[in-house]
Amino acid sequence: MHNEPLLSVNNLTVDLLTSKSAVRPVDGVSYSVRQGECLAIVGESGSGKTVMNFAPLGLMPTGVTTNLSGSVRFEGQELIGLSEPEIRRFRGKSIGFIFQDPMSALNPVRRIGRQIAEMAELHLNMSPRAAEARALDLVKLVGISDPSARLRQFPHELSGGLRQRTVIAIALAGEPKLLIADEPTTALDVTVQAQILRLLKDLQQRLNMAMVLITHDMGVVAGAADNIVVMYAARAAERGPVDKVLVNPRHPYTQGLINAIPRREDPIGSEFRGLPGVPPTLGAPINGCAFAPRCELAVAACTRSRPPMAPAVDSKVSVACPVVNQGKAAA
Amino acid sequence: MTHAPVLKVENLQTRFKSVQRGKYVHAVDDVSIELYPGEIVGLVGESGCGKSTLGRTIVGLEKASSGRVLLDGVDLSALSGAALRDSRRALQYVFQDPYSCLNDRQTVGEAIDEALIIDGTKSPDERNRRTRELLDQVGLAYAVKDRHTRELSGGQRQRVAIARSLAVNPRVLICDEPVSALDLSIRAQVMNLFLRLQKDLSVACLFIAHDLALVRQAASRVYVMYLGRIVEQGPSQELYDHPSHPYSQMLLASVPEVDPRVEKLRSGPLLMGEVPSPTNPPSGCRFRTRCPLAVDDCARRTPPSHGLAPDHNAACVFAPDLHGGKRSALVHQPA
Repeated sequence: MHNEPLLSVNNLTVDLLTSKSAVRPVDGVSYSVRQGECLAIVGESGSGKTVMNFAPLGLMPTGVTTNLSGSVRFEGQELIGLSEPEIRRFRGKSIGFIFQDPMSALNPVRRIGRQIAEMAELHLNMSPRAAEARALDLVKLVGISDPSARLRQFPHELSGGLRQRTVIAIALAGEPKLLIADEPTTALDVTVQAQILRLLKDLQQRLNMAMVLITHDMGVVAGAADNIVVMYAARAAERGPVDKVLVNPRHPYTQGLINAIPRREDPIGSEFRGLPGVPPTLGAPINGCAFAPRCELAVAACTRSRPPMAPAVDSKVSVACPVVNQGKAAA
Repeated sequence: MTHAPVLKVENLQTRFKSVQRGKYVHAVDDVSIELYPGEIVGLVGESGCGKSTLGRTIVGLEKASSGRVLLDGVDLSALSGAALRDSRRALQYVFQDPYSCLNDRQTVGEAIDEALIIDGTKSPDERNRRTRELLDQVGLAYAVKDRHTRELSGGQRQRVAIARSLAVNPRVLICDEPVSALDLSIRAQVMNLFLRLQKDLSVACLFIAHDLALVRQAASRVYVMYLGRIVEQGPSQELYDHPSHPYSQMLLASVPEVDPRVEKLRSGPLLMGEVPSPTNPPSGCRFRTRCPLAVDDCARRTPPSHGLAPDHNAACVFAPDLHGGKRSALVHQPA
């Protein structure tokens, strides 16, 4: 087995400073991904799930100063503190990206074959001719029909599903060891979503890649991921294997999220289950548990100090909730 | 429930001129639907199937090429001028994106006031009273009226958008993916708002969505649309328990399961490919190009609509078999 995880993130904190404001979208989060494993990072918008993955690789908007602390080790190499040219050696090569919106991720005025080949030329030092051949292989690999004709098409000639397959082909062109997929199916229909998820799972196993699947949709997690991190307001709320966390959620937020998904047994016309209140806006770090104002179990201690991530009864699962963890101690 | 539909759409067709000369995009083709007062009706299908165009044609945002839209029995295409404007007011649209459908520079009060002025409420006191009432109906505090819409969260903005459409006392709301831009934990709150409005104000609601689980719980009846046509319709429970069109079966089967123990057991064939171009729709049954059950006859004629149970119809030659469980689009077919 592999002892050292491919990616290990420890106590990562991201501060974003603009001329007007300072926010902390990621606050002391830790997780790791091994080779051949898929980790799902689930959270609502603003929970920090995207920034957490993109900031250490230098993918942040211009005009924002990003301060990172903690540690992000990829193949044993520390990424935090690397200069831009050094980071560029990883980005797109050993770490591939899939973005949410396939239309804006592609160049609208270049043929898709060129866009895929360009990656192979850049990262694998291939000749243009060899890169074209590799593009053809990749297009076949991601299940695009009529591959040689497709290579000559422009993104606008393709449907949403084919565009996302093209983006996946581009991500795979540099032979990545880690694939970071940011909401890869959110812009797609449920039928195409099923196709793309099956493709990603299949590729990940076939190429023995590690994958980080960033999503807000609990529904896509079960079929694709091995482990899960649930994020709430910049912090991790719960972490563990998918077949434990989704079946027996411990953190009240995870419970609420899973409970809010409509089920087949729910009577027609019945009230929808949800969480009360709204997530906090990012601003000054919150002293206690960020979820406390919306939590049914909250006690006075929840608002006093930030609950640490601690192993639950099942030690593979960690939960940041003093009430849940205290209950464990008493039991 | 009364037996006269508040909204009746008859053989509606919406065509757009294609970029290819002389060709047309058949976005909505011969669609008939009915909405009864105080009813939530779901309209589901993949993107590109024409469900939004249908909604937009009903409210008059697109021009129908043929067919009729009747509101309380009155044909809207026969009306013009003030009479048409008055009728249209009864039909309101709730848009998907609560960020682009409100003016950032307006306060919540101004946004709602605008709708009330259009509705002819002249007295400022009366408008204030209505604003308070509307904000209360959508679950917002009155104090919100002085905030700019840009300061609000997505869920709050969608509530303001709903309050605005309610300002003119509509009989029918066309809701185009009203919660898909909202976070999961907020979605339930807005869905419950729709359920409450339907009960309290008996507004009929056509709920256009791609989230099938959401539609099942909210809607009493569901229409399934594919490439411009309604392929199946029925009461929610009946349709979800016995989907009888291969497309409905495959659409329902593609919804992922949250429980990994159930998800790992799922192995049915996936619905492959995507919706074909509505410029050159397949002959006969439009789903035949993706249908695992298609036979030669499907290309020759449009399949008739089979009545399967009270108010449950599906347009597939195999619908009775599919309904009875003798055939299924979800088992692998022998090659």
